[in-house]
Amino acid sequence: MKDTNMTTTPRYSTRLSRRAFLGAMVTGAGLIGLPFSLRAAPGATGPAIAFDGDALILAQDTLSRSDGDGGWIELSAPAVGSILSLATHPGRPGRIAAGLAGGGIALSEDGGHRWEARSQGLPDAPAAAVTVAAAEPDTIYAAIRGDGLWKSEDAGRSWALAMDRPWLADAERDLTALASVDLATGMGGIWIYAGTELGLTRVPDCFCRWQDVQPGDAMDALASGKPAPSEAPLPEGETINGLVSAPSLPTRLYAALPSGIWESQDAGVVWSQKLNTRALAVAVHPTNADHVVAITRDGLVESRDGGANWTALGRA
Amino acid sequence: MRRNVILLSAIAVSALAAIAASAQLQGGDVRAQDVTFLGQPVTSEQIALGQKVYGEYCASCHGVNLEGQPDWKRRLENGRMPAPPHDESGHTWHHSDQDLFAITKLGVGGVVPGYESDMLAFGEILSDEEIAAVLAFIKSTWPERQRDVQARITAKEGGGS
Repeated sequence: MKDTNMTTTPRYSTRLSRRAFLGAMVTGAGLIGLPFSLRAAPGATGPAIAFDGDALILAQDTLSRSDGDGGWIELSAPAVGSILSLATHPGRPGRIAAGLAGGGIALSEDGGHRWEARSQGLPDAPAAAVTVAAAEPDTIYAAIRGDGLWKSEDAGRSWALAMDRPWLADAERDLTALASVDLATGMGGIWIYAGTELGLTRVPDCFCRWQDVQPGDAMDALASGKPAPSEAPLPEGETINGLVSAPSLPTRLYAALPSGIWESQDAGVVWSQKLNTRALAVAVHPTNADHVVAITRDGLVESRDGGANWTALGRA
Repeated sequence: MRRNVILLSAIAVSALAAIAASAQLQGGDVRAQDVTFLGQPVTSEQIALGQKVYGEYCASCHGVNLEGQPDWKRRLENGRMPAPPHDESGHTWHHSDQDLFAITKLGVGGVVPGYESDMLAFGEILSDEEIAAVLAFIKSTWPERQRDVQARITAKEGGGS
């Protein structure tokens, strides 16, 4: 991570302008006035993908859903905002959190058919990445571009700043991907891994400090003078477009990079390349850590063996 | 009649004040007894010393009431983080006794190589006993839940609670 030419991304103002306030009031009034079933689904620019049980939710040009029979249902409706990121949790089937390009989060509780805005308290800036806390299904994290990492403990109804952006190569860096990793930090909680334009970082969910991924728990990271074990990090300086930890095997990580799909079996210390096609987003099945799906430059691809073999996943 | 009511009210207020003062003292005693540092019980004298040292060396950054610097979750212009609170709203209670002692004595940069922080390495300024006393004082201010969580984190590191 030595790219010192990168500049700090400007922080978006969290002040509520009169225009934004009026817009929010009009939008809110409109949403309240509509029957729930008619509330707008987010438009889909993506690319973003997530498993909802065995089903796939795909945001790429449009928002669509496949329930495993090979067919896709288009989830179309007037847009409240284009999707930048998606997240689900095995403990909340049907719940999908979407980070919106226009700012804020949208939440669906029925597998993506109907959506509600859940942006109270969030800065008015793109939600570039979103993840659901592995150990707390109602806790959602959102990476707000130009601002920082935000946290909601009530499924998006209210939000609070959790942590400023990481400081890498002499500047604050936006988060481009998020993954809650259900592994103990040694500080009473679990990890949040994050992608940036310069690579991988992580923070304990007590939010004491961003730090590099190292073997062992946070206490090992704090200890000095220990001989460094072998490591094989992700390629230096590449933007991480997507990042997931398998819920059934949290040490298994997949990352989508411009150089392809990468896999780690030890929570990010040693990585190996599994696909060398430009990758834009990645998802892993909630109960099968070997079942991974990725959006690549060549289309949607799937592996059922941890990335050893890939097949195209057609969209009818 | 009215005089009697006033007299009774004054007696009642005095009694309540006495009960409250007694409860506060008892609470203080219980609090001292409940606090350990590196597995050893902490005395009220150590807590008093810690409070004094905290006021002299820590409060200017971490706050007189352990509240931390304003907007402490936002990075400073120089890239460093402001001093966090040491009360239950911060993350101090997520660290074991061993790590709190090491961070205080060596500075954050002393235990996380390359990490830049405005915090001094107090090993050159305070004795080990004073550092332990300051941390005991900080721990004594935490609610029971935070104290219990931090005790479990410390115990996992093998340093007692």
